[in-house]
Amino acid sequence: MHPRPRAGVRLLRLAPLAAAALLAGCAPADATWQPASPPLPAATAPALGARDTAYDPPRAAPPLRLTGGDGRPFDLASLRGSPVLVYFGYTHCPDVCPTTLSDIRDALRLVAVPVRVVFVTIDPARDDVAAMTVYVDAYGSGFVGLTGTAAEIRAAADAWGVSYRRLDSTSAAGYAMAHTTETYLVDATGLLRHHLFFGASPELIAERLREVGG
Amino acid sequence: MPARRFPARPFPLLAGAVLAAVLVAGCSSAGTASSITVTGAWARASSAMAAAGAAYMTIANSGSEADALIGASSPVAATVEVHETVAMGAPSPSDGMGMGSPMPSASAGTDGGMMGMQPVARLEIPAGGTVELKPGGYHIMLIGLTQELKAGTTIQITLTFEKAGPITVTADVRES
Repeated sequence: MHPRPRAGVRLLRLAPLAAAALLAGCAPADATWQPASPPLPAATAPALGARDTAYDPPRAAPPLRLTGGDGRPFDLASLRGSPVLVYFGYTHCPDVCPTTLSDIRDALRLVAVPVRVVFVTIDPARDDVAAMTVYVDAYGSGFVGLTGTAAEIRAAADAWGVSYRRLDSTSAAGYAMAHTTETYLVDATGLLRHHLFFGASPELIAERLREVGG
Repeated sequence: MPARRFPARPFPLLAGAVLAAVLVAGCSSAGTASSITVTGAWARASSAMAAAGAAYMTIANSGSEADALIGASSPVAATVEVHETVAMGAPSPSDGMGMGSPMPSASAGTDGGMMGMQPVARLEIPAGGTVELKPGGYHIMLIGLTQELKAGTTIQITLTFEKAGPITVTADVRES
């Protein structure tokens, strides 16, 4: 019940280690040296804002009918019976999307019942079925990657309140996509219960899953 | 002969100071003169087929002059760039696929807004300062992976600094 920004706390935990490493010279990353002073209290972490918002009252999840990993039509409604986490991102995203999906994967290891994870691309020009499949398979069998036409993706995103746009870039990786980074929690009956912001810890995600019966 | 005891105290202090100086001086993996130290380097485990991987670390500058990270390379990627994830303000669902407006500078408040990413040609490491590369902020982008980044292994990344020159760091590969 104590939402916290994981990155900030992790940073604070690392601070003494980083300081120790500086003092100790080229300490390897796995140094076991322990600082003499305890880590800074979490209360000094910046931005202790809520990392999620509940839908109160819960409301029916918007429709999500796109193309699944096997290239066939996929309907979110087919996952009734399991809690589902829905996240919109793209596979050329090296930072925010893998961080979120890794946090979700870690959260799934903390809960008892199967949870499905639906990763919807907001970059259908590059993310075809094959690209989505490779991408989500790295996270485990409960993950599904969805793609579609540009119009289908835009309609789905609008229904879920997801914003995105292309950012042209000089990067060798090509353009980037700006996008909202919430994860939506849909319960086993198809009701939208929470959305979790970027940086929600695996523990917080797991707690919310348990609350909805995960 | 009370005076004889006098030198006994300063000596360990001096020895300690010398030892500390040697340790600090020996810090840079590039050699002797650099005031840049890189710690806690890690890369996220990633399939070789992934479009890009990411690595994170802490860069400290113990010198009295600012330095800057101006490039990077690695045997595991065709191209290595420094990128920054930035908050882009309130969502606007009708943005469409337009080219978008110039990105605002980095800011922590991302709740409910969009996050985007942009290359950083020059990342200043202030004199006496520390810059964290971490998820949701600055990161090393490994583009065109030549191999799987497998958890439990390590990779080499060479960072090029304006003043300190090239510094090669070893990054642990892990899942999160």
